[in-house]
Amino acid sequence: MEPEVIESEIVLPTHFSFKKTQMYEKYPKGQARGRHWKHLKQIIQAENYQNYPPNEPNYVNIESPPSMHPCKRICDITGFEAPYLDPRTSLRYANADVFKLIRSLPNEYVQRYLALRNAAVVLK
Amino acid sequence: MPFISQIQRQTDYSSFPSSCPIVIDNGASYFRIGWAGETDPRVMFRNIVQRPRHKTTGETVTIVGDHDPALMKYFDCTRSGPRSAFDSNVVYQFEIMEYILDFGFDRLGADRSQVDHPVLITECPSNPIQSRSKMAELLFESYGVPSVAFGVDAAFSYKYNQQLGFCDNDGLAICSGFTTSHVIPFVDGEPVYEACCRTNVGGYHVTDYLKQLVSLKYPHHMSRLTWEKVEDLKMEHCYIASDYASEVRLFQKGDKEAEEKTRCWQLPWTPSPAEEPPSEEIARKAALKEKQSQRLREMAEAKRSSRINELENELKGLEFLLQQLNHVEENDIPSFLAESGYVSKQGIESSLVKVTQSLRKAKREEVESEEKADPSTAEKYTLINIPDNMLTPEQLKEKRKQLFLKTTSEGRQRAKQKRFEEELEREKLNKQDEEKRLENPELYLEELRTKHRELSEKVEQRKRLKTNGGHTNGNNVSGGVGRGERLNAAQKERMRLLTTAAFDRGKGEDTFGIKDEDWQLYKLMSKDNDDDEEGPDEDEAELARISSRLREIDPAFVSKSEPGSSASEIPRFRPLTKEDFQVILGVERFRCPEILFNPNLIGVDQAGLDEMTGVSMRRLPSKGEGLEERMTKSILLIGGSCHFPGMAERLEAGIRMIRPCGTPIQVIQASDPIFDAWRGASAYAAAMHFPQQTFSRMDYFEKGEDWLRRYQLKYTL
Repeated sequence: MEPEVIESEIVLPTHFSFKKTQMYEKYPKGQARGRHWKHLKQIIQAENYQNYPPNEPNYVNIESPPSMHPCKRICDITGFEAPYLDPRTSLRYANADVFKLIRSLPNEYVQRYLALRNAAVVLK
Repeated sequence: MPFISQIQRQTDYSSFPSSCPIVIDNGASYFRIGWAGETDPRVMFRNIVQRPRHKTTGETVTIVGDHDPALMKYFDCTRSGPRSAFDSNVVYQFEIMEYILDFGFDRLGADRSQVDHPVLITECPSNPIQSRSKMAELLFESYGVPSVAFGVDAAFSYKYNQQLGFCDNDGLAICSGFTTSHVIPFVDGEPVYEACCRTNVGGYHVTDYLKQLVSLKYPHHMSRLTWEKVEDLKMEHCYIASDYASEVRLFQKGDKEAEEKTRCWQLPWTPSPAEEPPSEEIARKAALKEKQSQRLREMAEAKRSSRINELENELKGLEFLLQQLNHVEENDIPSFLAESGYVSKQGIESSLVKVTQSLRKAKREEVESEEKADPSTAEKYTLINIPDNMLTPEQLKEKRKQLFLKTTSEGRQRAKQKRFEEELEREKLNKQDEEKRLENPELYLEELRTKHRELSEKVEQRKRLKTNGGHTNGNNVSGGVGRGERLNAAQKERMRLLTTAAFDRGKGEDTFGIKDEDWQLYKLMSKDNDDDEEGPDEDEAELARISSRLREIDPAFVSKSEPGSSASEIPRFRPLTKEDFQVILGVERFRCPEILFNPNLIGVDQAGLDEMTGVSMRRLPSKGEGLEERMTKSILLIGGSCHFPGMAERLEAGIRMIRPCGTPIQVIQASDPIFDAWRGASAYAAAMHFPQQTFSRMDYFEKGEDWLRRYQLKYTL
């Protein structure tokens, strides 16, 4: 290790005196470590919130409902107000210049703009 | 505020008694740890972990927090991005959490055999039990902590501000964090979790939105737009408009106000070295070309003269032969002829004629025989006009030959005529072009350039599609079909045909091909690919013409002829100016934080901050009189993402819309939205009754998970 790296101590040491079991004992090398952590969706599923009374607050309960306001339509490219929708690419646009720009975009960019709005075509 | 991290190893760990709790604010963005009773956390760093490989030794090391890029060059970071223990606001990766806790305790100065202090750690509201129990287990088992307490960071912040007098016993805490935003009502000093409301939009999403927008607008600067840099930009320049629609209209009109609000980020740029070298190069290249063409011309001349010499020699030889023939006696003619290799006198004469013709051609004189052909055709075609039945078979053959010759020569003439006319047309167009150019050179140049650009893009796109289609053509089995092919309508049709053709034949023998329609499928399938090939040829020809024209008249033109050049290069139609290296933030400045109020903009179908307050108040289980009024009078803004200028006004306006007219509304920002959570927790932990709120390892094992589920801190001590 280079001296400056050791001096700056950015690397985490492997042995700590205050720990009862060290990391290298807990997670021996060569074993796949990451696979067995449950993601949030799985955690929530495993919680079985439906077994508990519904008025008790739990992680799923307190989530916000969908918005009551009508969806605000803004142009995907410029951010202005967009009353128009391009049927071919389903991007929103504000005026004719933006429309010209949209029609000249390669497909990759169109999908990225749509992905901003979570409206991209996802092929699984 | 750029990233702050304080990771000096503390030295006074041993001076704290065993009863002094350690306070940890475990947030999705930062991790803060310190001692109870103090006003500031001792150690804080970004809550991420990287596991790169050291370049020289090859071992995998762990690095916690954000570090100096200068030191990171010794590590190979390609396969290890920064990883967080959080998924949304819940801890799920406890291995990473353990690394972080290791680092935190280490920098706090822990050195004994175990961490012998009670620990107060923050969590999100309604944390799932699994996460909570795993955290408790981690603390108890690995660190030997005697007792643990869990609390909600927003609540600590609220209590702290209540002590400072910013808010009352009944109030509302609007906490906008890194990955989520919460609205928690407080009644009698305690948070009411049943009425709590959470939207999964936070500072991380704002930064991500800004990064995507700017990268899409300036694809050539994508490499400079790292997440950290964009976060800096966001913190410095983003603000919340009091009314999105009117603000956007300002920008649309292009007012002077809009100009003032636009910020421009100038990237470092060095102007390219001046025009001397290019023009020198051009002159040099021109001279080289001249020399080459000169050389070629000389070579052609030499060849031509040598050929002329050869032909003349041959001519002389043949004439000499003829003369000799005349002098030779009658009997010796056959033998003489046999020596020279010609069959008869006519043979010699005809070859003489041929040689003279080619000589004349070589000397570029008008070939008389061509002209002679025209009047002679009239004689040669004598037989054509005579009807068939009057001719003998040989004459018929002759007639057919003459017909054929006539039609071909006529065709040739017609073609020549057409070519001549086309030449005239082109000359006319060129002249018109020249006139247009002379009258307005700049405009003409611009037009030509745009045409070139459009054409080149079209050609490139078609080429791209073709190669994508070509891949499916060659390699159906390898499974490398990507999105590019599927999205084309023609390719979709082709796939459909293929699948129906393959499917129909079903079980049993393969009856494909018996019916004629089956072969039509092949035609359709292959037509899809052929179709693409005819179209671009004219485009490409046009493109070649325009590029050659541009090359003549535009000194700064560099033709983009490589097919592989991606769109990420700056189109070099003119020398790069300062403006090319500027990133302009106009509408983005307030469009990005708008998603906090309008998560629909990024496709999250939930209520925005102002609507959430209404929802939260509706969800309150018991509403005493005047409770809601008291609540709206003390609304507190907490969390890192509430630093945007204009947030308080916008929230006030939003809440006024949903409350009955005339209710008192007061929105206050916390004294320090980022650190207040830790400070509140520290004050709480220093209180006398804190030990009663914790639970020990024994409790954890005896009372089981159900008890842990119902465990909640009581915040008013």
